[in-house]
Amino acid sequence: MSSLDRPDDFETRRKHLRELSDAELHSRFWSLVERITEPLVEEARTHTSPGIERSVLLRMGFSSAEAKALVDRMHRQGMLGHGAGHLVLQLALGKGISVRAAGEALLNGQYWQELKP
Amino acid sequence: MKLDPNEKLDILEVLRDLDQYRPRRKGWVWRQRLPEQTIGPFIYKDTSPGLKRSVPLPAAEYFSHIDPQCDLVITTEIASGRFEDDLRRMRMAAWHGADHIMVIRTTGQSHIDGLIEGTPEGVGGIPISRKQIRATRKALDAIEDEVGRPINFHSYVSGVAGPEIAVLFVEEGVNGAHQDPQYNVLYRDINMHRSFVDAAESKKIMADAGILQLDGAHNANATAKEAWKVTPELFVQHAVNTAYSRAAGMAPVQIALSTVPPTAPPAPKLRLDLPYAVALRELFKGYKFRAQQNTRYMEADMVETTVSHVLDTLISRLTETDIQSTITPDEGRNIPWHYNNIAGVNTARQTLMGLDGLDELLDIRQDGAFREQVRELKERAVLFLEEILAQGGYYQAVEAGHFVDSGYYPERRGDGIVRDPEGGDCAATVIRRAADYGAPVCSHFGANRYAGKAGKPCGDYGGCTLCDPAKIRYIDEADDEDNVMRRLEIPLAERAQGLLRPEVEKHGDGVVCLTLFIPDEPHTAMQAALEIARHMGLNNPEVINQRVMHPAEGSLFEIKGTVDLVIDKNALPAFSQIQPLADDEIEAWVRPRAIHVVAATVGEDEHTVGLHEILDIKHGGIEKYGFLCHNLGSSVSIEAVLDKVEQTGALAVLISTVVTHADIHKQHMQRLARLAAERGLRPKVLLIAGGPRIDERLARECGMDTGFGHGTTGRDVASFLVRRWQGQDR
Repeated sequence: MSSLDRPDDFETRRKHLRELSDAELHSRFWSLVERITEPLVEEARTHTSPGIERSVLLRMGFSSAEAKALVDRMHRQGMLGHGAGHLVLQLALGKGISVRAAGEALLNGQYWQELKP
Repeated sequence: MKLDPNEKLDILEVLRDLDQYRPRRKGWVWRQRLPEQTIGPFIYKDTSPGLKRSVPLPAAEYFSHIDPQCDLVITTEIASGRFEDDLRRMRMAAWHGADHIMVIRTTGQSHIDGLIEGTPEGVGGIPISRKQIRATRKALDAIEDEVGRPINFHSYVSGVAGPEIAVLFVEEGVNGAHQDPQYNVLYRDINMHRSFVDAAESKKIMADAGILQLDGAHNANATAKEAWKVTPELFVQHAVNTAYSRAAGMAPVQIALSTVPPTAPPAPKLRLDLPYAVALRELFKGYKFRAQQNTRYMEADMVETTVSHVLDTLISRLTETDIQSTITPDEGRNIPWHYNNIAGVNTARQTLMGLDGLDELLDIRQDGAFREQVRELKERAVLFLEEILAQGGYYQAVEAGHFVDSGYYPERRGDGIVRDPEGGDCAATVIRRAADYGAPVCSHFGANRYAGKAGKPCGDYGGCTLCDPAKIRYIDEADDEDNVMRRLEIPLAERAQGLLRPEVEKHGDGVVCLTLFIPDEPHTAMQAALEIARHMGLNNPEVINQRVMHPAEGSLFEIKGTVDLVIDKNALPAFSQIQPLADDEIEAWVRPRAIHVVAATVGEDEHTVGLHEILDIKHGGIEKYGFLCHNLGSSVSIEAVLDKVEQTGALAVLISTVVTHADIHKQHMQRLARLAAERGLRPKVLLIAGGPRIDERLARECGMDTGFGHGTTGRDVASFLVRRWQGQDR
């Protein structure tokens, strides 16, 4: 497939487009594009990544180094699918401490066995 | 922080209390278009408010020093590798009309899985870190006050740390950013799933903060073998990123398509590039257009590049454009030098001012072959999209080498970029969100248990950093050696001592450029040119451009090298130069007074060229101000000169004396002074002598009012006269 070599058969291929007005051609263009991006958007809606989770922890007031350490360990423990920020917040609420204190405790190795979504 | 136009930017002041600095605004700022603006003698159609301080175009001196600013945002790209040197370059660029400062990232930052902290030095750009962008934004805030126009700061939300960089940019007031997952996939071989999943989050973060997004489609122009054949695909790349951005919540006015006219002469540039530019604007109506200048066909010849960029900018004006990006004309031969950033910006603003009101003069023809070309490009793009779907979607199409193929689609050459959807950097790092997934922060994309909460998603803990910037964690430096204070030790010490070295990029880098012509065949000429450069004291001389004038008659060379030369500015001779008056000021004073001036080349002297330069309107001489000039010609006696003065009532005498044998020039001046006094013409008549061996001191010693030597212009002479007469008036 990748070594595809093909002459310019535009005149044959364009037949079904020829009769379209410019406006119809434009709307065909955009509806095709949306069909292409739709599954990509859906994947993004339902998936996350270490980068996204670190960006969540940054927004919760952790430094880049702290966010990386927390996310790396959550990833190794298979918990990232719940959301790093969610895990830290639930820990904080459960312990009655601040989000910052919960994150610092985790960074000191505490409470990892108690983490839950 | 406040800048003094007469003082250098104080980097220590920039770095002071940086942990406390907050950006003054977020989001992008456009220029305000003023459709009818009177500036100096002209009414402009396509300008924006002027600057408080600027350096006008060189020819502005003939037009009352006006400095009209076009209505397009003007971009310059900066990449020295040291942000402390970048800041000075940004300030210079802002004075020349740039209000979009794009900072290139260091090589390889795309692959760093996390943020960089501190101020390490970069290669071909800077490592983007919180400290660097905060310091840069702080300096730009001061620079925008100095020039009187908002400056947009811009960098890249790409690579595997995209979402974190997007957060950083919002927190620190970065105004524009490139964001296009296709760039990661095609040019950085970053895993497709990771790139697209991260991109949605990045785009959502950027969208909420009003950051303007540029896409990455122009990279296909820059990499395709025949850039004009990749045009159908460019529409597809623009569209994929645009539709994806819309889905992530971005408004059309935040989405700028990065578009480059694909060709350069000797290709028939307008005929190829204009249909593409028009088709793009029609398909993407309602979006913004960032017109980039061509880099694909840049050679080492800066004049050739500049001409191509003028044509690119013409295409921008013929179509709809919001941002005119500029490329430094030296990018084809070295990492851009700072003064070439300014050259690039000036190419754009000079062209755009010259094309002011073009809409009122020209329409693009909407019939015949041109229209067919526009239509054909769109149809080719639609066919491209249809085939992507036929192959099973975007990932499968990339896997099949569908992108950046050098064929003119649907022609295929089989040389496209091939990527494995499950491979690449950070493969298999995308994780399915669990049913209870949550992200208790603002600007988060997708499934999130906190999204539907009353109030904000971050309400449970008092707000995220986007709501409460006090929560931002600032890291100052991460490396004791590789940081800005260590790098500044030498520059600051040298500055304190008043030491100066030439530079093109970094403080005191000593780089100079030499231009010379050698009259021999190309290879011999090059060896000779390098040898001469060495003898002139250039270290490591290197030919950065050779242009053959004729295979046997010779070549022109530009050679760069470094000089080990440092100048103590305190030891320089005192310098005082009286600036000539403005042309209009001289004329306003002279013309209504109908002043007669007698001029002659005196003694046995047939040299008349110099005096013509001073007098004749053709040569920019004083006639143009309204002086009534009586040029008596050559070999004129002093008596004849003074007879003419009495006859016309002249107020000034200009004698030219070129021959200096046996001090004859001194004798002429002394004799003129003596006879003028005897006839009672002094001090009413000003006596001026000129010639290659004359200077002010010598002329005064010989009884003249002043003297002018080599390089004098009519304006210098007229300025002297008018100032003297104005002084007498008072």
